[in-house]
Amino acid sequence: MFYKANILSPWTLLSLLIFCIFASPIFIVLASLFGEYSDNWIHLYKYVLGGYVYNSFLLIIGVSTISLFLGIGTAWLTSNYNFFGKNFFDWALILPLAVPPYILAYTFTGLFDSYGTANNLIREIFSLNSEYIFFPNVRNIYGAIIVFSFTLYPYIYLATRIAFINQSRSLREVGETLGFSKFGVFFKLVLPMVRPAIIGGLMLVIMETLSDFGAVEHFAIQTFTTGIFRTWYGMYDLQTAMQLSSLLLIFITFFLVLERYSRNNISYTSGSPTYGKIENKTLTGRKNILSFLFCLTPLSIGFILPISELTNWALNYKLDFFEANFIKNSFNTIYLALLAAIFCTFAALIINFSGRIQKTKFFGFLSSALALGYALPGIILAIGIMQLFIFLDNNLSFLNFVFTGSILGLLVAYVIKAYAMSNTSIESGYIRISPYMEDVAKTLRASNFKILTRIHLPLLKTSFLTSIVLVISEVIKELPATLILRPFNFDTLAVSTYIYASEERMYEAAAPAIAIVLVGLIPIYFLTKTIRSSRPGKEN
Amino acid sequence: MLKIENVFHSYNQKEDILKGINLDVSKGEIISILGGSGSGKTSFLRILSGLERPHKGKIEIDDVLIVSENYFLPTYKRNIGLVVQEKGLFPHLNIIKNVCFGLIGSKEEQNKVAIDLLTTFKVNQYQDQYPNSLSGGEQQRVAIARALAPKPRVLLMDEPFGSLDRALRESLREETKLFLKSNRITCLMVTHDEEDALSMSDQIFLLEDGKLNTHQQL
Amino acid sequence: MKIKLTIFLFFIFTEASFASEVNVYTSRHYDTDENLYDLFTEETGIKVNIITAKGNALIEKIKAEDSNTSADVFITVDAGNLWKLQKEGFFQSIESTEIKSTVPKRLRGPNDEWVGLAKRSRVIFYNPDKVSSDELDNLSYENLSDSKWKGRVAIRSSNNLYNQSLVASLIAHNGIEKTEKWARGLVNNFARKPQGNDRAQIIAVANGEADIAIANSYYIGLMLSGEKGEAQKKAAMKVGLHFPNQSGRGTHINISGAGIIKHSKNKENAEKFIEFLLSKKAQTHIINNTYEYPILENVKPNKNILIFGEDFKEDSLSVTNYGKFNPEAVKLMDRVGWQ
Repeated sequence: MFYKANILSPWTLLSLLIFCIFASPIFIVLASLFGEYSDNWIHLYKYVLGGYVYNSFLLIIGVSTISLFLGIGTAWLTSNYNFFGKNFFDWALILPLAVPPYILAYTFTGLFDSYGTANNLIREIFSLNSEYIFFPNVRNIYGAIIVFSFTLYPYIYLATRIAFINQSRSLREVGETLGFSKFGVFFKLVLPMVRPAIIGGLMLVIMETLSDFGAVEHFAIQTFTTGIFRTWYGMYDLQTAMQLSSLLLIFITFFLVLERYSRNNISYTSGSPTYGKIENKTLTGRKNILSFLFCLTPLSIGFILPISELTNWALNYKLDFFEANFIKNSFNTIYLALLAAIFCTFAALIINFSGRIQKTKFFGFLSSALALGYALPGIILAIGIMQLFIFLDNNLSFLNFVFTGSILGLLVAYVIKAYAMSNTSIESGYIRISPYMEDVAKTLRASNFKILTRIHLPLLKTSFLTSIVLVISEVIKELPATLILRPFNFDTLAVSTYIYASEERMYEAAAPAIAIVLVGLIPIYFLTKTIRSSRPGKEN
Repeated sequence: MLKIENVFHSYNQKEDILKGINLDVSKGEIISILGGSGSGKTSFLRILSGLERPHKGKIEIDDVLIVSENYFLPTYKRNIGLVVQEKGLFPHLNIIKNVCFGLIGSKEEQNKVAIDLLTTFKVNQYQDQYPNSLSGGEQQRVAIARALAPKPRVLLMDEPFGSLDRALRESLREETKLFLKSNRITCLMVTHDEEDALSMSDQIFLLEDGKLNTHQQL
Repeated sequence: MKIKLTIFLFFIFTEASFASEVNVYTSRHYDTDENLYDLFTEETGIKVNIITAKGNALIEKIKAEDSNTSADVFITVDAGNLWKLQKEGFFQSIESTEIKSTVPKRLRGPNDEWVGLAKRSRVIFYNPDKVSSDELDNLSYENLSDSKWKGRVAIRSSNNLYNQSLVASLIAHNGIEKTEKWARGLVNNFARKPQGNDRAQIIAVANGEADIAIANSYYIGLMLSGEKGEAQKKAAMKVGLHFPNQSGRGTHINISGAGIIKHSKNKENAEKFIEFLLSKKAQTHIINNTYEYPILENVKPNKNILIFGEDFKEDSLSVTNYGKFNPEAVKLMDRVGWQ
């Protein structure tokens, strides 16, 4: 083959540099696999490992099923039909992204526990005494499945929606003329065509579910992640905990490889977006109402419900937070989130661009390896970063300990934690750009840099912004790594929430939790504006 | 001026799709290569434009080597124009910016060159619009204008009229030929349409089984 | 432009360092803490810098930073956490005689590496309508494995440190074998799958889901204060508090405590800070926020916890044992299926 990765190309070097910086903490964690194995493994294997795996598996299956159903369903409706509230749902369906799963978990128990708001309310209405309990217990795996599905489905919604919008409608019409039923077209043509987008979103959902600690801990479900923490905190065995985390990564890698392999021989480049005018079909009658309800449900459970409950708590308790720390903590949060989002998005852009112009799978490998960071529990990742930084500080002493205890550590953590999101966005954006674009540009004497800035960047505008928003919403919520890596006296909104929520002091946690959502709304607002303006048939 | 010697190419390492292509084109000549789908004609153009590397053979333009087994001049240094079948315009740039994309010099100079070409191809009235508001034929006119704007030494066209209806096709063929001839621009076009080839070219070749054969004139 | 802005933003967080400061890693946080620290700064001119995170995470941070650490003082709940850091040699002995004379020996590290700042006990809450005074009489932790409690006991998950410490203390007293047998019996008596925090256990007792619950003492104070809402206050008023093992060794006691980091660069300030936390003013502040029991003898617990009595017999076992036996406790709970 003539076309191998050109090692000397500046793009390759830049990609490799990015990879080395951000992948090393992941490799530090993986290195534990080559260390000693303690006797605790025998204990784990004999008594608990099976349960951890079983519960995690059940969780993933449940969450995948429901979030696919919600994500694809809402995306299909909002990108193809006009119905009551459609313009509102367009953007509002993303809102649950602003609610961290653990917050929804706390809200669920706050509402549905025997002394929860919901039960109290009904008792009050019917003046019954406290022995009556109306809602099923949510502190179990089914509760957790609901919590994850309704906070994470927007990843699938977003990715699929953009793909639907850019999907050529004529292909579907061709399908119908070929005698497929509406359902046939949907399952045999429409879905397979947007499969990379769906899988991309689904991978995010799965990885976040697997790395979550807050929600499963609150519901007292023994998953792989709680097992990692139990081993570390309870058995004082960090080494085994890191080995368990590595196993989790290997497991996910296996999935990623399998997925890549299965789509290996299919080209999903769909040519440039059809910029022709498309009119959405207007729904009436029962279909109109059903569509409305279908979109309202995830929004209600994933957003309206927790926000109402939080507001209720905050108003009943106190709003001091908004006077005292809101401005400072919001600023810290936004500042970090934005910085991380820019870094992360450019990292994904550079690696994907290198892969695009060099036409090798090598860069896809780099991307996948970095994306694994998302599946690492934040605090395990933080330990990897700490070990890296302390190594750097000790060996580069002239830098006078700039790494440890600066926001640099936080940034690295966020980039690793959120690279998967940037990569999913940018990668699926690239799939929609016809390779003719850069072919023609090259014959028009464009350098690689010019192709990137003048052709790809403008065409990737939506993907770019999606990536920024996803990273921001992840960083705003990110907690475990933030807690340990942040400098002195440096609080973010998630930290303020955590400080109370960790002790289940939810009334106090309500105000900063609302602040997280409020700040999260800003990027979501901008994203929706852009997605809307990028609709086919509209110019710039 | 364009000299192609013994070019081999393959998609995978198994079977060659081009098996020793030899071709000499003189300045100002218009050559057509006829071939069915999968015959390797598009690969041939991509090799000429530098988008792909042949695994054997050499190519010279004006007696200067542009590719051989151990030399490769990247696309952007070759000064070769390329027109692809469809969807070749940059959708985020308006018509005039599309044409100016490959130009250097001051804004005024660029605009002048672009407007002249757009006028030649009768699409100057759309200069501020975006590609999606133009018909297929108009888009193809812009694409040709854009490829010609940087005054390429060779113009390569891949099924340039493939998506147009008959009337549009004929007029665009005529106009393109006229422009190429009067500016003495060397052109190589690949197509599966015999009529396209007959109406445009000075010479026609058939790409069959990885080799070029002279076309039997009808 | 963007680049310049980024560089600018990068550096605005480089804080000016104070001439005199103390850097505190803590896993405890209360709203009014800032006032308390301001008071300290006012009295001594020493600025207090804080990083709040989970105890275990902070322990890893201190270990990783090693001699480069900026931490001076580590504050956390549960003696197990303190022991963990002490065992690996990341504390130094506290020399202040003032501190040592205030805190009794059994609430300090073996070589005074750390000291307790406040106490909590792990007690039994009961529903007076369902548990007779006979049943309560002399009730000990050990008794809870008795089959007469079948389906009546609420306790949270074994992931919880308080439970791990309790089991560790039982291992220290009775040995692994006996404790494992006991834990098996206890699990059989569970009224429901372990879930929720300690307050959720108290609520379960109040609304009849269970007859007795094991939970930390201060939660009842918190609930009675009304800070958790009227419903929880009402629930708390329905339950009674029993101190187990009063006729024997005494009720299980744990601490929240502080130690001075070995590589501390401000040792003097760190000692002053701990002395301050053990002062009457600070102790009063702490116990009124947390409803824990004070270390200082002339400070009274908050009235919401005082009503259950303060002159109960405390287990005199050294709290260092909790850390020592914690891994054993966790594995034991895994073995008996305590979720």
